[in-house]
Amino acid sequence: MVKALNLKLLREVNQAKGLLLAITSIIAVGVTCFVAMQSAYHNLNDAKIRYYRQCRMADFWIDVKKAPVTELELLRSVSGVGELHTRITFPATVDLENVPEPLNGQTISLPDDPTLVLNDIILRQGGYFTRTRSNEVILNDAFARAHRIYPGQWIHLLLNDRRQELFVVGTAISSEFTYLLGPGALVPDPQNYGVFYLKRSFAEDVFDFQGAANQVIGRFTPELAGESEATLRRAESMLDTYGVFSATPLRLQASNQFLENEINGLGAIATVVPTIFLAVAALVLNVLITRLARQQRIVIGTLKALGYGNAQVFLHFVKFGLSVGVAGGCAGAVLGYAAASGMTEVYRNFFEFPDLRSELHWSILTIGLVVSLICAVVGSLHGAWSMLQLQPAEAMRPEPPTHGGAVFLERLTWLWRNLSASWRLALRSVLRHRIRSIAAVFAAMMGAGLLVTGFMMVEAQNYFLNFQFYRTMRSDIDLTFKNEQGRDALDEVRRLPGVDHAEPQLAVAGTFENGARRRKDAIVGLLPDARLTMPHDSQGRRIPLPDTGLVVTRRMAEILRVQPGDVLRFTPVKGERRTVEASVAVIADSYMGLTAYADIHYLSRLLGEELAITGAQLQTRQEPSQLARLHHELKHLPGVESISNRRDLVANITKTILQNQFVFIGVLVVFAGVIFFGSIVNSSLVNLAERQREVATFRALGYSQWSIGAMFLRESFVTNMLGALLGLPMGYGLMWLTAKAYENDLVRLPVISAAWVWWSTLALATLFALAAHGVVQWRINTMNYLEALKVKE
Amino acid sequence: MRNDSTQPPKTNHQPLLRLSGVGRTFVMGEVSVVVLKNITLDIRRGEFLAMVGPSGSGKTTILNIVGGMDRPSSGSVLYDGQDLTTASNRELTRYRRDEVGFVFQFYNLVPNLTARENILISTEIARDPRDADEMLRLVGLEDRAEHFPSQLSGGEQQRVSIARAIAKNPQLLLCDEPTGALDFETGKRVLRLLVDLNRDLGKTVVVITHNAALAAVADRIVHLRSGEISELTENPHPIAPEEVVW
Repeated sequence: MVKALNLKLLREVNQAKGLLLAITSIIAVGVTCFVAMQSAYHNLNDAKIRYYRQCRMADFWIDVKKAPVTELELLRSVSGVGELHTRITFPATVDLENVPEPLNGQTISLPDDPTLVLNDIILRQGGYFTRTRSNEVILNDAFARAHRIYPGQWIHLLLNDRRQELFVVGTAISSEFTYLLGPGALVPDPQNYGVFYLKRSFAEDVFDFQGAANQVIGRFTPELAGESEATLRRAESMLDTYGVFSATPLRLQASNQFLENEINGLGAIATVVPTIFLAVAALVLNVLITRLARQQRIVIGTLKALGYGNAQVFLHFVKFGLSVGVAGGCAGAVLGYAAASGMTEVYRNFFEFPDLRSELHWSILTIGLVVSLICAVVGSLHGAWSMLQLQPAEAMRPEPPTHGGAVFLERLTWLWRNLSASWRLALRSVLRHRIRSIAAVFAAMMGAGLLVTGFMMVEAQNYFLNFQFYRTMRSDIDLTFKNEQGRDALDEVRRLPGVDHAEPQLAVAGTFENGARRRKDAIVGLLPDARLTMPHDSQGRRIPLPDTGLVVTRRMAEILRVQPGDVLRFTPVKGERRTVEASVAVIADSYMGLTAYADIHYLSRLLGEELAITGAQLQTRQEPSQLARLHHELKHLPGVESISNRRDLVANITKTILQNQFVFIGVLVVFAGVIFFGSIVNSSLVNLAERQREVATFRALGYSQWSIGAMFLRESFVTNMLGALLGLPMGYGLMWLTAKAYENDLVRLPVISAAWVWWSTLALATLFALAAHGVVQWRINTMNYLEALKVKE
Repeated sequence: MRNDSTQPPKTNHQPLLRLSGVGRTFVMGEVSVVVLKNITLDIRRGEFLAMVGPSGSGKTTILNIVGGMDRPSSGSVLYDGQDLTTASNRELTRYRRDEVGFVFQFYNLVPNLTARENILISTEIARDPRDADEMLRLVGLEDRAEHFPSQLSGGEQQRVSIARAIAKNPQLLLCDEPTGALDFETGKRVLRLLVDLNRDLGKTVVVITHNAALAAVADRIVHLRSGEISELTENPHPIAPEEVVW
């Protein structure tokens, strides 16, 4: 049988269900975020660990121009290097019959017969290579799905200037390409980029690589795993004579970097965001339970008179909070699991895993529930405790009237004198009920902070898109030549149908050094008046290419610790590999990748070579017939290593980002709304309950219900706006931290504000305050004034 | 269970409670208010004691101290030989739970519990409780058991409050202006109930009132004025509640 005291609790919970629901939803949102993000984090991380193990993921990648396999195998002698595997890998142009434009891809060699190798594949359809023919190919599964290509079909790749017909034997995935990005891309785009696994013997033939390879992947021995960077450096220097393009540890491998970034960011946010909600909930609950305990002062006195001990009374009030914690925790656990499934589903669109599934993590659910209970208990402690401090006899007396002295604002006489009586009343009430006001200000601050962070994130993404794709890199199609070409190659490109404008590029890979700091990357030579790649500074102004010296992007300058005027050493991978010195002329802003730009003529002089070009950027006409002709020509253009349809790529990135923004803003506004609404409704209703008699007196004096409502609105407006204003810098700080947390060599988010961020936040804060006030006004309108006026003991 | 006032006295002169030199001073900020001064009084086992005095004379403070709800600033209070002045909070809670039943002027029923549940809230913690339904019958409210306080009249609420107090089967029944909020007739009925409990069940009953006429039903009457006992009178012939006139 339910004890009488618990019956009392149940009925009171039922009576206060509106208010409790408001607090419960704040807790529920907090727990939902926690469970969803933590579960998604574990789903992703566990899937990653399983996948990497299954595919035997490499610890490093070294790309060279070309080296004999026997020489590459010698790396085994480097201490710290364990297992090795050599591969032949080249970019390729894909010519699909039903797709007008040439697509981009990467070919990678695999042993002719199934062998255990590093970065192995997992077959999804069909099988491994057979001995029937040499020209067999295994496609990455996403590309095959996007183009409905099945084993048994033939496809055409442009390999080493020759159009090759390949027989599809299977589709596969590999941990190496969990997040598969084409050159210059930001989100996977299986429509436009694929990976093609070729038989080793076939690759040797096609690329003229008999007994040679251009990539070695390997693992570090476990005992020397701590010195991986030094090991990699040793391995790299051993291969120096073969021209090392890049030596990439797993940490910097693109797919891994995006995946790790997501996992780590998720892990960090999974703690911060729920903490915000639970802290707000605890504070708001504190206000409610304190009010409840004070309201029940006489009941508490009676219970004590009946012989109830302090512990029993205390527990009774804590149970009130606990009921909120249990409800919020359970709702949060259920919603969180559902949200985790949704998030995991979204991740499946971006990351290719063999078995990324939403699992029920009991430990996370339990932690979510426990944290919610702790938050509820902490929120109840103050109120419950305050009642225990009273002697039973004291508790039996009605509460003495609250102190009604002057508040500190009144010392500012010039201000105070100019305030109307209603404003004075509102300000006095705000300043006298400190805890309640602090809770309201804190909640509004957190709500506004969340909104600012979210809106700034949107602004950052839009700025990023605009800066990177509409101002800095503006070409429609980028071509990369297989070998360096002379000026005539550019003229040939210019003559292609549909090409409006073409500019040359000279990309020189090499090693930058500034003292002990070094970095492998490339200098991109551009025409001084280039308009398809235009570096910009942080103010968004175009940077003219200097006659001499380099324009270095910010992230690169930070890594190398250089400033304008400093001199960098650069050792190119190609040619004689003579180390040259170049001064840093300007720092450019860039949010994607690491690059240095230079005048193409200066760069050629610097390397002591004739003007050569490695690629071309095209601006094309948009008429479909012209484009179709251009695409047709490009598919058959010799000497081209890869073709990047930047227009499609940018459209895909923009579409993906905008789609996600829409959902993101929706969720954000709902979450912030829960905080604002829950907190304002709670504090205003508590305020109203405490001042029922006062309100009734005002009614008796002839005030309308609306003018009484306006008094309460003033109070919630003061705390809410103060909190929202404080939330603006807090949100800015949170965005800064988020941007730092997510920053990597591939992408960084700009921290920029815009007027709309601030105005939208304040407008939403006002809107939520008005919506919450609607509930309060309704209570005022339906209040029984005569009852409230009756003198109670 | 009605009794006539002509019955022989049922008190033995053994004190159940002994107050010696009890004083109580309240400190409010910088002001000290002396509410009780040097009260010495024995409350006898089984007697019906009335305390009368104007408001502010210290009646409720004595009742709170006797009921273990408050502690004196000076002096001592012995209950059955046990010193309440030095008792711990836990011991005082136990004392209130097992020995004392309170009846309040404004009934102090828990608004969210029915009449029956308001009694259960008391019996659930008692050492030797009586049956809640029997208590409701005793106060004549068996048909109102499932009503909430807001659905009961003042007199009915006070009867529930008395039922709640005696359901724990306490030795001592402390009533603070039990008829103060009731009309004349209802007040008399409540008084009759208290007299019956005293006579039939042998409960020691202490009633405080500012209404001197009510005191005529008591065995002894303590008059309080400004925190002191101004007069203590024996009443060898208490009248029946029905005869009280005010």
